[in-house]
Amino acid sequence: MVFNYIFLALFGFISLYPFWYVLVASLNTGRDFVKGGVYFWPREFTLENFAHAFKDSRIFDSLTISTARTLLGVLLGLFFTALIAYALSIKTLPGKTFFTFFFYFTTIFSGGMIPYYMLLRDMGLTKSFWLYVIPTIFSFFNFLLLRTYFDTIPPELRESAQIDGAGEGKILFRIYLPLSKPVLATLALFIGVGHWNDWFMGAYYQSRAALYPAATLLQKLLGEATASSTIKLGQETNLSAMTSYTSQSLQMAFVMLLTMPIVVVYPFLQKYYVKGVMVGSVKG
Amino acid sequence: MKSTITGSISRHERARIVWRQIMKHKMLYLFILPCVVWLLVFCYYPMYGALLAFKDYNYNLGILGSPWVGLKNFREFVRSPEFWMVMKNTVIISGLKLLFGFPAPIILALLLNEVKARKFKRAVQTMSYLPNFVSWVVVVSLMTIIFTPYGGIVNNIRKGFGLDSIFFMGEKAYFYPMVVLSDIWKNAGWGSIIYLSALSGVSQELYEAAMVDGAGHLKCTWHITLPSIKGTIGIMFIFAVGGILNAGFDQVFLLQQPANTQISEILDTFVLKTGLNYGRFEYATAIGLFKSVFAFALMAITNKISDKFMEVSIW
Repeated sequence: MVFNYIFLALFGFISLYPFWYVLVASLNTGRDFVKGGVYFWPREFTLENFAHAFKDSRIFDSLTISTARTLLGVLLGLFFTALIAYALSIKTLPGKTFFTFFFYFTTIFSGGMIPYYMLLRDMGLTKSFWLYVIPTIFSFFNFLLLRTYFDTIPPELRESAQIDGAGEGKILFRIYLPLSKPVLATLALFIGVGHWNDWFMGAYYQSRAALYPAATLLQKLLGEATASSTIKLGQETNLSAMTSYTSQSLQMAFVMLLTMPIVVVYPFLQKYYVKGVMVGSVKG
Repeated sequence: MKSTITGSISRHERARIVWRQIMKHKMLYLFILPCVVWLLVFCYYPMYGALLAFKDYNYNLGILGSPWVGLKNFREFVRSPEFWMVMKNTVIISGLKLLFGFPAPIILALLLNEVKARKFKRAVQTMSYLPNFVSWVVVVSLMTIIFTPYGGIVNNIRKGFGLDSIFFMGEKAYFYPMVVLSDIWKNAGWGSIIYLSALSGVSQELYEAAMVDGAGHLKCTWHITLPSIKGTIGIMFIFAVGGILNAGFDQVFLLQQPANTQISEILDTFVLKTGLNYGRFEYATAIGLFKSVFAFALMAITNKISDKFMEVSIW
């Protein structure tokens, strides 16, 4: 029993500590950090790494793009998911099963990466910011999550609103959505995290480097860093003797800027998304 | 009874009733329309594009205009020297994850289920969910910082014990351990949610009855707890086996280094390289299609087996 508590405490610690370690490191001067021994608290405290990260226009622009695509992505995603989830939660709709299957089929079979890329290229999306927003609007899982919740709303509500003369749009936006706030919060979190974290579309489908989102930029920096550390072993320490921040400490600040918004949001929605995952997995 | 009633209505009549139903719901069809168009463009059209796999692609002729070559691209892949390497790596990485990563959330859920202190339980759960929410790019960045030979905590501790620094992220021998450990670290907490919810449905009376019969703690776990979440484990197992050819693209791609490509190249990373880096569109499409079909078959077979032996099925 005691062993159980110790083990779980350790597991929680290991889940969290890497983030703490990098946070501490990003608040420490880069030159001092490479000497080692900075584990739980900054030794030479500084905000310099963050200041440089914000001053670096590549990093700043990429964070702006990530923020924009996350906000837009969440809004559009919620809007269109709500439309179809509502329509397909109406039992009397002719063709309901057909449409559900039409949506479901895309989860078991896809054309693959290359035809998808060719499509995006031919549509001109590979040179545009809209690459991040338009091709990501629909997800079957999100649809299922919301429809399952709509199914629990008694149909009498809709019927009586219809008798009062309300149209479908009004019923959806004035009755169904206000009743679904917990699920909408979960969906917003899932969609938002998906956008914020996505590096692949930027890295392989975006041809203009100025339009890279933050996660893509970090992936490119990571590639550069690992390439240089295999080639120029040991040079990093010499370089860093000249300035107090290093490319590594700058990168750590960047990693933290990518992590912080998630850390701030996810614990508060816990009781909602835990339910959401259960619904999704039971039905899916 | 029902059939005689519908049978007595003429076909014309029935069509009119259906039409009236459709008109009554026209607003709802308008709601569905944007997503239907979206799916046709972004999901169904690329499926048509997958025909590329059977073609000798020429940009000027387009997909339909390019000459058919049958299974040539598939044959080329299966006979290529990369085929066995890529298949072997994919199956090894997935196999390791299945062996170590699959039981991890189950064990975590069983341990959490024993905890009586609710605040402690909740705190551990919240902490264990965090890695799931961050990108693999962030995870690999964290790993690079933690395992670097230049001031990283792991190598510093090794030095403290008088051991040599190891370049964990670059050395081939550490690639598989890194993949498995980071997989558990990122996914075990999140994965435990579904098992915990299954566990919360187990009746307390069963335990009390077993205790009266003199069953110990471990016996209860083995004979009551595990059998009661058998269904959930089974379904998760089907999905895991069905996804064997995936092996985790983001993670493997980001952990890949020149030194370890021989053991880290998996189907998805190979498709990416042949297709987008080297521009061999039809060849890469064929490999992707090969994977899709194979994965679907795997899923169906596992489902069949588990349906027969464990009475668990996803369809």
